[in-house]
Amino acid sequence: MNIYRYLNKKQDSSSLAIFRLGFGFLMLYSVIRIWSKGWIESLYLQPSFHFSYLGFEWVKPIDNYTYLIFLVCAISSFFVAIGYKYRYSVILLFLSFTYIELMDKTTYLNHYYLVSLISFLMIFLPANASYSLDSFIRNKSFKLIPKWNVDALKLMICIVYFYAGIAKINSDWLLEAQPLKIWLTSKYDLPILGNTIFQMDWIHIFFSWSGMFYDLLIAFILLNKKTRPFGFILVVLFHFMTAILFPSIGMFPYIMITCSIIFFEPETHKKILDRTFAIIKNPLNKIKSIKVYNYRNTKVVQTLMIVFFSIQLLFPFRYFLYPGELFWNEQGYRFSWRVMLIEKKGFTEFKVVDSKTSESFYVTNDKFLTEFQERQMSFQPDFILEYAHYIGDYYNKNGLNNVQVYAESFVTLNGRLSKRFIDPNC
Amino acid sequence: MDNLKNSIETFKSNPNSDNYDLLQNDWIDAYKKWQYVEMFNISKAEEIMYNLKMNTYPASKERIDNNIDIEQSDLSNPNDWAAQGFPGLDYMMHGIAENKDAVIELYSSNSKYGNYLSTLGNLMSDVTNSVVEDWSSYKETFNTSTENTATSAFNMMVNDFVYYFEKGLRTNKIGIPAGRFSSLPLPEKIEAYYYSKNGFGNLSKTLVLEARQAATEFFTGSNSEGVKGPSYSSYLDYLETEIGPTVETKLEEAKVSLDSLQDNFIDQIADNNTLMLLAFDALQTIVVNLKTDMLSNFNIAVDYTDADGD
Repeated sequence: MNIYRYLNKKQDSSSLAIFRLGFGFLMLYSVIRIWSKGWIESLYLQPSFHFSYLGFEWVKPIDNYTYLIFLVCAISSFFVAIGYKYRYSVILLFLSFTYIELMDKTTYLNHYYLVSLISFLMIFLPANASYSLDSFIRNKSFKLIPKWNVDALKLMICIVYFYAGIAKINSDWLLEAQPLKIWLTSKYDLPILGNTIFQMDWIHIFFSWSGMFYDLLIAFILLNKKTRPFGFILVVLFHFMTAILFPSIGMFPYIMITCSIIFFEPETHKKILDRTFAIIKNPLNKIKSIKVYNYRNTKVVQTLMIVFFSIQLLFPFRYFLYPGELFWNEQGYRFSWRVMLIEKKGFTEFKVVDSKTSESFYVTNDKFLTEFQERQMSFQPDFILEYAHYIGDYYNKNGLNNVQVYAESFVTLNGRLSKRFIDPNC
Repeated sequence: MDNLKNSIETFKSNPNSDNYDLLQNDWIDAYKKWQYVEMFNISKAEEIMYNLKMNTYPASKERIDNNIDIEQSDLSNPNDWAAQGFPGLDYMMHGIAENKDAVIELYSSNSKYGNYLSTLGNLMSDVTNSVVEDWSSYKETFNTSTENTATSAFNMMVNDFVYYFEKGLRTNKIGIPAGRFSSLPLPEKIEAYYYSKNGFGNLSKTLVLEARQAATEFFTGSNSEGVKGPSYSSYLDYLETEIGPTVETKLEEAKVSLDSLQDNFIDQIADNNTLMLLAFDALQTIVVNLKTDMLSNFNIAVDYTDADGD
């Protein structure tokens, strides 16, 4: 296939519009949800210490202004949804949401990362070309947009699923059915199924294998026109099931279901939108329709897309560069679509030693961390290291000399009996 | 608790040597039984901070002296938690003077002491009765609330048990006095401190052994005769893990380690604190299994925030 011919291919702009509406409103709902559950307070304002990402130590909650960031995020989500000042709104959405995400890695979630990536992508897509307030105000809508615009979004979703599938090809998942064995068995309180089939070993194996095949294959099932309706039913069923079984995964199922709508034909998107907008048909009809949306700097945007997706394809494999077992030390674990793969719990305490007087004592973690932070810190090595440095700095400032900090740490992974996690002597 | 309350009243109205002994015996008995109660921080007990009112130690000498002096009978201020309960009685019996005769003398000469003692007895009896009363109605809820949600009784009890083992047993009874959480040991923070300090007798070791026994019986679902029922341990067996036997073995090892300590913890800390720290380690290794292995396999729902299993 000729690459230039592909890049010049056009399609109906409805697909971008429907994605924009779905994504925008879902984001608005997400922010309202976080706000109303009081998580801004408990996750960002209460803790005295925050776990930072390497290179983003400067991204911190800013007292009560943190609420302002969430407000900006909510308003820009709404503006993105209705397509108002779209380019500015989506940039603001990307920046504010990513800032929120970077404030404390305790709250890391794969789908938050996905939201950041999609909103970044959307900066370069003319999703306000039609069915938007912008087109109404400017009295100008575009019927066609480059086909690669929509394909970029599809590719992003495909990467998520496919890489999640690859990550499930490991002995714990396939042979031990872990961590599903632990998780499903603990759902004994679910009506009918809980105390019966969820207690059976073969069901754990069955769920593990079908989960892997679902992740590996769903992208192809959705891409193929013939299997697409079946694929979408699978998407809905699968994600509703995960929402019921694992309520703590939050917005993830809804984000994936909404995103999957992009796979339908442009005509279907147009039909849905026209029906929805039937009430305000008149003003919409008056908008002057221009045939084709053209980028002003096509080459730059296309190059950027190639770089972006190359990184996306390679980044999840970076763990090859690190020594050791990925699930245990988690180097290169995040930002790689490894979802629901490990059941890990840790117990970690720190010994502070004054190297001058060689007096020592153990720190009680709740002095510095919230319960949630302590739980996350206890089994993730980069958290343990960062926190140990923080403790060291704290006691150096508060009267001790040349403080040394040692970790007493035990972790259990996927049902294995807990083992010492960190060398206690260094 | 009724016995204790009665003997308090008897001693108050007639402070003599026999009545003192009676009171002391009842205090010891009740304090030992308490070790089987403290972990159940559920329902009413949690609501009224039963644990903190019954066993916040060390008792605050300053606070109690002041309360006696101003005849304070309202002890609902959180600062007064260290001025009541078992540690409060400990101070009232073994701390206000250095020997039995001197203590009795104080009670005979100044009614303020008897009044405060009686206040403590009434309070302990009142909070205990309200917890017992609530249990008779809450029992039904507790027994049926077995689902895996953050607010189910099953989940809260699991969390309470683990919390108790870590803080109430490991940290408070051994860890803090042995100086594990401070630069220097803090022998004045042992349970039943005044009893040992002023040479009346020793109870700290008995209490920690009782607490270990209580935790063992709870974990293995045994009653005091050793008959086992369904328990965390049997559930862990059902889940095909080795955690149950592992923890049970370690509980026995912890008993050996605690048994090796002197009766007087103040002396033990001064003479050979290493043994205290070894006992701490013996309990610590159990905490690790409970907090990581058991909680992981139970997969207790924590309604805290979103998490996608990573």
